[in-house]
Amino acid sequence: MALPSDMALIGEILQFIGVFVSFSIAYVAFRGVRQTESSSLLRLATAFVFLGFGFLVEGVVGLNALLPAPQVTTTAVVVAGLLLETTGYFFLAFSHAVDVMLSKKMGGALLVFPVATLSGAQLADILSILSFYFVLYGVVETVYSYSRTRKPDTLLIAMGLALIGVGTFVQWLSLLYLQVDVLSLLQIIMKEMGLVILFTPVLRFAVGGVRLDGTV
Amino acid sequence: MVQYRTQVRIIADVLSTARDMNTEGTGVGVTTLLRKGNMSYTRMSKLLSELVGSGLLLELTGEKISKYMISEKGIQFLAAYYNFEDFAQSFGLRL
Repeated sequence: MALPSDMALIGEILQFIGVFVSFSIAYVAFRGVRQTESSSLLRLATAFVFLGFGFLVEGVVGLNALLPAPQVTTTAVVVAGLLLETTGYFFLAFSHAVDVMLSKKMGGALLVFPVATLSGAQLADILSILSFYFVLYGVVETVYSYSRTRKPDTLLIAMGLALIGVGTFVQWLSLLYLQVDVLSLLQIIMKEMGLVILFTPVLRFAVGGVRLDGTV
Repeated sequence: MVQYRTQVRIIADVLSTARDMNTEGTGVGVTTLLRKGNMSYTRMSKLLSELVGSGLLLELTGEKISKYMISEKGIQFLAAYYNFEDFAQSFGLRL
């Protein structure tokens, strides 16, 4: 992915915003697990830990590629970063899948949908498209949840997930069309915008006068 | 559509009943908890023992029946529960 260096640098810095947002959400979710022993929050925390490490690996690999230092970037490391990210999206979708099973909905059928789309494409392509479907599933379930609760925050999170979903789709396109530099930056911007939107509930915890240990 | 409650949700329901129905400050009887908690007597008895054991509920033993009152720890648990329920709902999840 040969980006002009300035654009690439911006892109890699944005990855670290993703790291911060992901770990912040994971932190609040883990606090929730400790206080309430909720398995939903445990899956949410696990999802964002994977996403955080995924963005971290991708950011470090990207920055390393920009520096004149000895290159440690290998395809395996890049794929490892993507694998961590995809696993994060899987847990995000899995949280909803368990919720679906609890309420005996038919939405579980959507979970097998990504598997059916696998082809003989390269591993990075497969991981990107898998991420896309996992996020898409998360968007569908979050919108469904909004239809039940009518909670504005839920709709906001669905929009954030949708942005991440479009970002992962553009990421897949950028892997296919390597010569289109702007796609790589675009996918990072969309994903980071989506993640910043996901940060909203965490901000409410920090600013809304509620301490992280749950006491008012 | 049937909405199944998670264990933590059931605990929150019992604690909030013990808090809200304790209008006279003398505690809430098992019958009230059963009616509001919507579960069997056996299951409620087991849950009440656990909640008293963990310090979330206080058991006020009378001559014939026991009554239950939410403890300070229980109030803190409920506050945390509602905060994190709000957080989980933002992500379209249930606690």
